[in-house]
Amino acid sequence: MNKTAHHIYLTVLTLIVMLALAAIINYGYSYYKISLEERFFSPDHALLKPSGILGHGMGILGSIFMILGVSMYMARKRYRIFSRIGILKHWLEFHIFLCTLGPILVLFHTSFKFGGMVAISFWSMVAVFVSGVVGRFIYIQIPRSIEGRELSLNEIRGLKGNIGDTLINDIQLDVESHRVIVDSIKVKSEYDQSNFMVRTFKKYFDDRRSLRKVRSVMKKNNLPKSQRNQVVSLVKNEISLNRRIERLTLMQNMFKYWHVAHLPFALVMLVIMVIHVGVTIVFGYRWIF
Amino acid sequence: MKIRFGHIIGAFLITVSFSISAFAQISPGALSKFHTQLEGLSNCTKCHTLGDKVSNDKCLACHTELKVRIDQKKGYHSSAEVKSKQCASCHNDHHGLTFQIVRFDKDKFNHNLSGYKLTGAHSKKKCEDCHKAQFINDTKIKAKKFTYLGLKTECLTCHADYHQKTLPVTCADCHNDEKFKPASKFDHQKTKFKLAGKHEHITCEECHKTSVVNGVKFQQFKGVKSTNCTNCHKDPHANKFGQNCAQCHNNESFIVVGGVKNFDHSKADFKLEGKHVNVACKLCHKQKLTTPLKFTKCTDCHTDYHNKQFAKNGVSPDCATCHTVKSFTEFSYTIDQHNASVFPLKGAHVATPCFACHKKQEKWKFKEIGKACKDCHDNIHNTFINEKYYPEVNCEACHNLDSWNSVEFDHKKTKFELEGAHTKQTCRDCHFNKEKTGHATQKFAGLAASCTNCHKDVHVKQFETNGITDCKKCHTSDSFKPASKFDHSKTKFVLDGKHLNVACSKCHKEVTQQGETFVLYKTNKLKCEDCHL
Repeated sequence: MNKTAHHIYLTVLTLIVMLALAAIINYGYSYYKISLEERFFSPDHALLKPSGILGHGMGILGSIFMILGVSMYMARKRYRIFSRIGILKHWLEFHIFLCTLGPILVLFHTSFKFGGMVAISFWSMVAVFVSGVVGRFIYIQIPRSIEGRELSLNEIRGLKGNIGDTLINDIQLDVESHRVIVDSIKVKSEYDQSNFMVRTFKKYFDDRRSLRKVRSVMKKNNLPKSQRNQVVSLVKNEISLNRRIERLTLMQNMFKYWHVAHLPFALVMLVIMVIHVGVTIVFGYRWIF
Repeated sequence: MKIRFGHIIGAFLITVSFSISAFAQISPGALSKFHTQLEGLSNCTKCHTLGDKVSNDKCLACHTELKVRIDQKKGYHSSAEVKSKQCASCHNDHHGLTFQIVRFDKDKFNHNLSGYKLTGAHSKKKCEDCHKAQFINDTKIKAKKFTYLGLKTECLTCHADYHQKTLPVTCADCHNDEKFKPASKFDHQKTKFKLAGKHEHITCEECHKTSVVNGVKFQQFKGVKSTNCTNCHKDPHANKFGQNCAQCHNNESFIVVGGVKNFDHSKADFKLEGKHVNVACKLCHKQKLTTPLKFTKCTDCHTDYHNKQFAKNGVSPDCATCHTVKSFTEFSYTIDQHNASVFPLKGAHVATPCFACHKKQEKWKFKEIGKACKDCHDNIHNTFINEKYYPEVNCEACHNLDSWNSVEFDHKKTKFELEGAHTKQTCRDCHFNKEKTGHATQKFAGLAASCTNCHKDVHVKQFETNGITDCKKCHTSDSFKPASKFDHSKTKFVLDGKHLNVACSKCHKEVTQQGETFVLYKTNKLKCEDCHL
């Protein structure tokens, strides 16, 4: 899948989620905004109640989406026989798509009634969803190969370009300007003494300051805009890599712990969902069947 | 390592979640406050049938009072609109404690479906006006905090028995459901007492009185006596005419009286007697027959014919003082009463008819007609008798009250004292000269005292001297014959001898001279041979 096809793929998935959400909100807003005690008397109740044709359907469909999203991704990731099917990154994106659309459908299946045992399943689902969003953030903090495999530290360092040479070869700068830019992308070690939060803020403001300096130098050298942007982009990439290299160990640890939250919540959700479905069937609520 | 660690944590969490789920509610929501006793895992199947949602049978297993109605095919839940429905389709639950498990639009609810059609005033009532514990008899239903069951369709279920068990409980036979009053369906004609005439237009209240019985307002309808008019009407006649009012009165009007012929006036306070018997009713009862009339005095009806002539101090005595009902002209005024008046009747006045004195003109007159004789009688002697003989024209100077003809007059008062046979004559003999026409002309004043003024000179002036014949020379007033004062010896021819025994007529013969026949006394035969041969 080339880059354009990937973009279309992502856009379609995103549109499906957005349209589904918009459609449900548009159709059901007037019903869902009614208090729980009054909903029974709404003409939409028969359709949108959790056991209604649409409400029940959304629950079933959402659950299937989530089960599929989890099971397919897990199978692709864990079983060798599936390891060659598609790129893992795309599977993750499809996993995210199904496990975003699924909870949305389940959310509307609940009709915002969060009580009883099944609420554990629901809130577990919410936890899995939220942890998924957090996990996605951690995930992108760890540099990966194009197939999604984590890169080693050396591989990451290898990614760093020789910006000093690029500046000398391609762009005519004075010595002082060259020095300022090269200094801005050097790894600094003076933050080690302070705590995590202070370090984070210091790094953030230092990076911004460095970028301003680079822009100032570029301006002083009267470089054309395209070259200025090229240099700023290079500097930004270098700074980002610097930070990722700095955070790599932290992110790798966080990702390890993230699995502890994400997967068990998913299992809890699944187990109680099964119980919920079982109880529902036992009491005679079989949707269209 | 990562997967294994995650699985351990996951297994722990799953165990925890199972533990929680074992105690947690599988309920999709809290039950309404009416079903809170059914909360809990062990109670699910009290309403839910496994594999078949919520069954009506389970609902009705608890709601037995409703089941009874449905089994009887009565009430709203047996109506075509409801009977094919599941209970839960209307009465759902698990929507929270405050969920209205029974809710419907009270304004749009078709009460006809309940089997009791709301019409009239009922359709304007609020549900709670009827559906309240106060009107429910069934103790089990009554104990419910909220129910539309338990009401019977009988009116008295909700309405107080205004008639306090005196009338049948089938209220709708008489009343409609628009208004309790009036009882528009009630037909009085179907009762023992059919309304007629004015009875049709009066208010019920006038016969069916309202009182307070058992502390509440009560209008009596049953047991109102109607055998007699007086059961309701006050008898203004105080039972004088009996109880059969219809003899005279009818239903149209009390004051418009019919059957007058049946009316016995003798039972009234004013008994008809005499002339009153034949008088037309309208003559007295000028307005309506029942309009009260004054009757204590005759003048209450009759005008005072005498125009207050008998009034004393402005008040006239009642006519009955003198008159009776037999006739106006026949009166009861007695001579004694008259004698007690200013003019007692005496003598001939007693026998004199009233009109002779009191009706000299067209109208009777009783007052100030005068007490003197002349006020009634004509003075026939006026200019004939000098007033000195009857001062102030007082007839009683000569006449008395007994008889006009009985005259007592002292003739000595005149120049002509009556003596002898004169005393035996009537006044008329001397003072009334009956003419040939039969008309008598009286003469008192200027009547001469000479005998010939009254008597006829039978001697045809034989003894007249100087134109005057003095009868008294020979006659007395006692008797004309014999001429006792005549002395033959004092004549030219003295009687002696045989002459003394000779009848007068032997010598004094009747002669007729100048058409008159008389005894000739002055014969001038003084010699014997004048008589003897």
